[in-house]
Amino acid sequence: MLFLTGATGLVGGGVLARMLRADPALRVAVLVRDPSRWPAIDRVTPVAGDLCASGLGLTPDVRAALAREVHLVVHAAADVVFSRPLDVARATNVQGTRRVLDLVHEWPRVGQVVYVSTAFVAGRRTGSVAEAEEDGAAGWVNAYEQSKWEAERLVRAATRPWLIVRPSTIVCDDPDGGVVTQYNAVHHAVRLLHRGLVPMIATAPQASVDLVPADYVAGAIAALAVRHDLAGRTLHLCAGAGALAVPDLLENTWEVFARNPAWRRKALPRPVLTDLATYALLERSIDQTGDEMLQRAVRGLSHFAPQLALPKRFETAGADALLGAPAPPVGAYWARVVEHLLAVRWGGGMAA
Amino acid sequence: MTSIAGIAYAFAEEARSVAELGAAGLLASDPAVLEGFGFAHAHVAVAESPYQLALVAARRLLEERRVAPESVDVLLYGGTPGPLAQQPADVPWDGGLLQTTARFKYPAARLQYELGLERATVLGLDQLACVTLFGAVRLGRALCLAEGVDRVLCVASEFFPADAGREAIFNCTSDAAVALLVERAGARNRIAGAAQVTKGYYWDCDALRDEIVASYFPTAVHVVERALAAAGWGPGDVDWVIPHNVSRTSWDILMGLLGLPRARLWAGNIARRGHALAGDNFINLRDALDGGDVRPGEKLLLFAYGYGAHWTALAVEA
Repeated sequence: MLFLTGATGLVGGGVLARMLRADPALRVAVLVRDPSRWPAIDRVTPVAGDLCASGLGLTPDVRAALAREVHLVVHAAADVVFSRPLDVARATNVQGTRRVLDLVHEWPRVGQVVYVSTAFVAGRRTGSVAEAEEDGAAGWVNAYEQSKWEAERLVRAATRPWLIVRPSTIVCDDPDGGVVTQYNAVHHAVRLLHRGLVPMIATAPQASVDLVPADYVAGAIAALAVRHDLAGRTLHLCAGAGALAVPDLLENTWEVFARNPAWRRKALPRPVLTDLATYALLERSIDQTGDEMLQRAVRGLSHFAPQLALPKRFETAGADALLGAPAPPVGAYWARVVEHLLAVRWGGGMAA
Repeated sequence: MTSIAGIAYAFAEEARSVAELGAAGLLASDPAVLEGFGFAHAHVAVAESPYQLALVAARRLLEERRVAPESVDVLLYGGTPGPLAQQPADVPWDGGLLQTTARFKYPAARLQYELGLERATVLGLDQLACVTLFGAVRLGRALCLAEGVDRVLCVASEFFPADAGREAIFNCTSDAAVALLVERAGARNRIAGAAQVTKGYYWDCDALRDEIVASYFPTAVHVVERALAAAGWGPGDVDWVIPHNVSRTSWDILMGLLGLPRARLWAGNIARRGHALAGDNFINLRDALDGGDVRPGEKLLLFAYGYGAHWTALAVEA
């Protein structure tokens, strides 16, 4: 039996579907807060629980049953909001992971724990980032990155064989349609660009934007999780060499925006590309003004935008070799993502 | 080469501190915020009229430069509109005046008469807010180049509307008038390049204030690059940036975006004078020349934004 956390999310849901499809005999227990809202899926048992509760909030009966049956754990649940305070991010991402690992320690049949981390545990590092890289000395841009790095340390110290996968930022469901089911800071940034509320972008020469579609990540995790020869490996699920340079991303975005004559007529200026020091001055200035709209706009960007000024290239040779192909290059589908966002008006639910 | 041959100005006599303006309810922001942005004082007209200050500034300029009034070919005037320009600041603006033939009581014609500019063709400029004088310089230069005009007197006099308090998007405003001479063949302050960008989308300026703030910097960089390119200069060639007196912080940001060290910003007047809508770049240029900070031959960049839709820059060789 597979024990899966995060099954209600885009990646976890994709992993579940693929693993069920790949193994007709597989049974899965998914950890969910409210089993009554879980759709009935053959061979899948929802178990009530919470990463933030002691023992994941599992009842003794469920815990005992899982101990008897679980042979594989995929821990994909996380608090992925970049703007969380560190203690809040840690509560889910670090303490939650510790609780999963504590249970795994009690479950004798577990042969592997797959931890879904993030490529951005690399934080403020620049340059080439190896898949085996564990160093956190450069620090992090936000509490999400730090908490995931701390969780990785727990996983590496676990008593059972582990595999860590590090997806990049997920930007769409699949590269063909550019469909976006779950919105994040990247989509918010595109919306602010469209509204003409982004005066500048902090970046650096050679900086690029590393993004991946959810189906690539889910497919990769489903394929890698069932292998028994990857214990102790860390793999990047990233665009890597297919990341898109920041000026090119901006250009592609503008090109899609400008197809609308009404938008084009506004003649909104492209943001200026600048350095972190100048961007920090803007942040401070807007903070001083007390202007709520601009504060929201700048703060919405500030939890991840500094990454654009910390040029790094995620190495993907290990994952590419195992999966047989690299992630799709961002430039091949980015325009479709922007088209989709415009078509659905950001799902109508994102505040600008 | 066409040049700015002389500059004179006149401020409203009364100067008030930012704290005083705040206490009087004339600021939208906390006075401490505006002080943090570099403002200390602003000039507030009481009994003066925009026309009165325009007359003082223009007369001072002609006298200082020993210019015979009849030698002025063109008078370009901009600022507070029509009859309102001739009312003391303590008389509320009466929009009803614009519905009668009083609207034709133009300050430009009166200025021509009172200064004795017998030969001067009179033209008015409007709707450019704080970049009116830049528009006048550009038009004056164009007249020199296209029609062989020798001398153009450009005058702008602008008072901030009383009901608006003293603040325009985090800037503390001053009432003043500025006069300058554009000459076809001057030796000093030669105009090497000029550019203006108008983005009409922002015409409804109060409704689009946040968008305007966001647009300010990228458009500023764009217009500066155009002006410098017209002069054949790069940002690194600029010896001094002569600013309009808006937030010092905004200037620090713009200097960063242009890749220029902050030491090249002539910023002394921001605290002392506040933002004179009539054309504080030119007030600052005059003061920088008088104080010896700017030396002959140095390359100057003047940039200003006119609230709403206008960004403009001049490249000037001192």
